[in-house]
Amino acid sequence: MITLWVALAVGAALFAVGLYGALSQTNMVMIMMGVELMLGAAMVNLVAFWRFLHPQVYAGQMFVLIVMTVMALEAAVGFGVATARFRAKGSVEMEEATELRE
Amino acid sequence: MMLQLVAVAFFGVAAVAFGIGVFRTRSMVRSALSLLGAMVAIGLMFLAMEAEFLGVLQLMMMASEMAIMAIFMMMYMMDPGGLSQMEMTHQKRTSVGAGIIGGAGALVLSFLTPWGRIVASAPAPEAQLHDLGIELMTRGMLIFETAGFTILVAMIAATLTAIVRQK
Repeated sequence: MITLWVALAVGAALFAVGLYGALSQTNMVMIMMGVELMLGAAMVNLVAFWRFLHPQVYAGQMFVLIVMTVMALEAAVGFGVATARFRAKGSVEMEEATELRE
Repeated sequence: MMLQLVAVAFFGVAAVAFGIGVFRTRSMVRSALSLLGAMVAIGLMFLAMEAEFLGVLQLMMMASEMAIMAIFMMMYMMDPGGLSQMEMTHQKRTSVGAGIIGGAGALVLSFLTPWGRIVASAPAPEAQLHDLGIELMTRGMLIFETAGFTILVAMIAATLTAIVRQK
């Protein structure tokens, strides 16, 4: 039980750090890094649930594969948007992207 | 079991320390390398929790993804080395508050939830690979195919978003 708790505590700490990063950074790539950390926290929790609660059911491992796919998609689309933004405005600073509000 | 606990705790602390390091440095390259360190530590946690396939996959995927991320950061940052000490944060107090509330909430929930019986051992690595393969090709086929199709759509969307439009 202690190992499960340790893994879940690590997941909670990683989620907290990722949430802080996603909210506090002004650079788009740094915001993506925060999101990656939050997804990493989700994966740690999923692997811990699979290992310590249901190691015979592989839906847990499959869910981790889906989260990894989401991480890759987030990076691909994020860099696509960053490239378009950099070409249009010369910067990926989100403080300068106030026109997106309008 | 004791060795597993020590390994999970060690790599877990390393992952959190590297995660904090991502947002503590002003150098973009160091940030990307710190994130790589956090992802490697998470992969090693998977290995410590006997999920060998996922652990190796995590190490391989994240090594390449973080290398690409570091290149993009150097391309798009005015000061990738962090030499001019540019301020790159905003709403710091709100972010710290949200992080603490989110983390504490997840922590409290994980301790208060009755998780039930803990299973002492996981299947052997070769049995895991076999059974995961069967799961992917039977019950999880539709989900797996959907993930593949979504990757294709995201690749096309990302390319179309990034290409220069001729007027």
